[in-house]
Amino acid sequence: MKTVQIGDPTPLVTFRLVFLAGAALDPPGKPGVAYMTSQMHASAGTRTRTYKQILDALFPMAAGIGAQVDKEMTVFAAETHADNLEPFYEIFRETLLDPGWREDDFERLKDETMNYLAVNLRGQNDEELGKEVLYQEIYPDGHAYHWHNAGTLSSLESITLDDLRTFSRANYTQANLILGVAGSFTPDLSSMAEGTASSPKITQPPEVGENSVVIVEKPARSVAISLGFPIAVTRSHPDYEALAIATSCLGQHRTSSGRLFTRMRQLRGLNYGDYAYVEYFPAGMYTLEPPPNVARSEQIFQVWIRPVERAYTLFALRLALYELDRLVREGITEDEFARTRSFLRKHRQLLMKTKAAELGYAIDKLFYEEASAEPTREDVNQAIRRHLRADRLKIVMVAEDAAGLRDELLKGSASPMTYNSPKPDDLLAEDKIVERFPLNIAEVRIVPVERVFS
Amino acid sequence: MKNVFAFACDQHDLANGLRLITVPLPYPNVVSLYIVVAAGSRNEIEPGKSGFAHFFEHMMFRGTREYPPERYEAVLQETGASSNAYTDDDRTVYHTTIAKEDLETILAMEADRFEHLEYPLDDFRTEALAVYGEYNKDSAEPLHKMFEVLREKAFDVHTYKHTTMGFLADIVEMPNHYDYSRQFFDRFYRPEYTTLVLCGDVDPAASRAMVERHWGAWRRGNYAATVPQEPEPTGARETAIDWQTPTLPHLLMSWRSCRYDDREKDCAALDLISFLGFSETSALFQKLMIEEQSVDMLWSSNADHVDPYLFTVLARVKEADHVASVRNDIEETLAGFRDRLVDERRLDDVKRHLRYRLALSMNNAEAVASTLAHYVSLRRTPETINRLYDTYESITAADLQAIAQKYFIEAGRTVVTLGNPA
Repeated sequence: MKTVQIGDPTPLVTFRLVFLAGAALDPPGKPGVAYMTSQMHASAGTRTRTYKQILDALFPMAAGIGAQVDKEMTVFAAETHADNLEPFYEIFRETLLDPGWREDDFERLKDETMNYLAVNLRGQNDEELGKEVLYQEIYPDGHAYHWHNAGTLSSLESITLDDLRTFSRANYTQANLILGVAGSFTPDLSSMAEGTASSPKITQPPEVGENSVVIVEKPARSVAISLGFPIAVTRSHPDYEALAIATSCLGQHRTSSGRLFTRMRQLRGLNYGDYAYVEYFPAGMYTLEPPPNVARSEQIFQVWIRPVERAYTLFALRLALYELDRLVREGITEDEFARTRSFLRKHRQLLMKTKAAELGYAIDKLFYEEASAEPTREDVNQAIRRHLRADRLKIVMVAEDAAGLRDELLKGSASPMTYNSPKPDDLLAEDKIVERFPLNIAEVRIVPVERVFS
Repeated sequence: MKNVFAFACDQHDLANGLRLITVPLPYPNVVSLYIVVAAGSRNEIEPGKSGFAHFFEHMMFRGTREYPPERYEAVLQETGASSNAYTDDDRTVYHTTIAKEDLETILAMEADRFEHLEYPLDDFRTEALAVYGEYNKDSAEPLHKMFEVLREKAFDVHTYKHTTMGFLADIVEMPNHYDYSRQFFDRFYRPEYTTLVLCGDVDPAASRAMVERHWGAWRRGNYAATVPQEPEPTGARETAIDWQTPTLPHLLMSWRSCRYDDREKDCAALDLISFLGFSETSALFQKLMIEEQSVDMLWSSNADHVDPYLFTVLARVKEADHVASVRNDIEETLAGFRDRLVDERRLDDVKRHLRYRLALSMNNAEAVASTLAHYVSLRRTPETINRLYDTYESITAADLQAIAQKYFIEAGRTVVTLGNPA
């Protein structure tokens, strides 16, 4: 067990327990076990208390226990006012060490998880759906990252409480634990099984050989697009900092400074926003800050194009590829380099705004062997050429009339853009290049939404 | 906890009517600036102009002579700022979190755009498309649709009839209303509508001086919107939405509520009822979510508003056959508040819950500023928070019963259901 303890000048105590074990350790054929196990600890009864009793006890304290599962990490997070520390900790400890494994809790949580996949993700959030399908395309069946963290509908049907007990026993151990606490309190978790460190087998995903598109077909007013490919760079890699600067310059998450945002939304009004990533960033539509403790040994480069009108889908895709291509060919300018480097330096300090975030980042530092690089502009541009590209892409679109869209994509005819107001000549001249930017799409597959996560 | 909002505040009014609220907090080097304009979609009183407050929030990023968009972006980027904005019914809020050393730079730049915003027609028309894109991205979510339909059904004349995004027909027409956008700016982007909230590593005296320096010359306006007031409700209303994507049946029930008030008991009592009746420890939650497991989502809200809005209860039901019984259970729960006195211990638990919830939520400079932004757009002073929580404390079981009898009446009810066509 490793411990990260920091102070807090306010009367709050923050807990962040991270087990280095996640969905990559799901038993073969049973995706969803890691996720369901975390839920049976965080959102269910313990051996001595029913879930109802726990809710009743926590409610007056306004305290809650949250679980987050990614491929290689499971987080249990909680916060309490110091007034309530003792009674809160007693319950928190029980949920971690002595879960109740009740059948009725299991049924409720299974239903919730299945509805999350079948209703929320398939039906209500085209952007997150597209991103998750992109991951499934990049990590093929058999790779430890292939399945959604919550599993599949059929797997959730087949998972048993015994699967969860086994997972908990093997992985929620001192050997896997990084204990984070902010505030003047040190939990005693010595009765937790010592265990041995879990070691998921994470391999490099296959190279992407050509451009291919998956269209998830469902009713939709517009078309959500995500695209990307695997990269060899994580925070442990010497090129990470250089690539972080490059990606921030291309499309810093939910800011209006990136090239993609400026060229696609600000100048052309194509959609609500366009961003780029070198690390997993779930639920980006709900949060401005990256969630800590989704650390991974393998990452992808990704571009997120928020829903675009059907008529301008090909133009938007082409413009994103054109910008990516321009980045690879020309690199970033001295001015962009200086501004982006300054942005990241200060922005990272601001990300530590809560004790939970401060703990989270400190814990991620223990996962990665972070290289302390101070890249020059030339280093950044070399890293771009080494790791980024505008071809050999996996592209995912969520759209209706998938067959029509497929035909357009394969035909690759020009896709001219029209505007509701006059535009400068240089922009119109650029559009002439963009509208014919080669798509070179080798394959388009249509997947009815009912088949995703089934 | 005595006062739930226990941080020391400095409140300062400039001669032009702008108000500055400074809250020093023990988080080193970080400052969060929230600029609160007390105008939102409630102020969109002209027909055909719904959605303009939100659209205008977009236009505020389109620059001035001194800071064209590229320069504005460059400055923000160099400071590493976390910056964004939002609009809702009663407010438009621009927020930026930065290192202490960059505060004056940001205050100067923000003052410039609030005073001197200027944008060409072309930018205006392009930005209208981004707003349309925002509507489109939200359209996959059933709850967006349900609230859009609920408001339209529940209100006849008040501007709460439309969502902050606006009626779709008005959004499509937005590119053609450049002149109205200038008028909107001229009316509401004025010091008397605006409050600056500064939280974090700040010194009140130095902050006053900085704000006087950069915001002192901004000229007061003279416009007040006359928002049509909704007449008393006269009968139950109901509508159903057919949803094309596979979903679960949703049930959204609402009752006409009251305006935000930190001293009157009505608003506070309805807040308490939403927790007593529908939160995770309520009898209904226990029945529907934990025992029967017939529902996988249940929540209720009595959202604070300048004018009377709606008390809402939402349930997502696992099977269509159960919608009627869930609806009956919700009605029964509210009838219980009308007919019986609530258990005093439960009432105390809810009061404690609300106090700790607020205390736990204010765990960083941005969160404190964000909480204040909500309240200052309603009462323009942090004191309203402690007054409201004192009012919660004063509420008795008898108060709850009387107020439930006043508001949970059939005439004030509007119900929206959503599901896949049979």
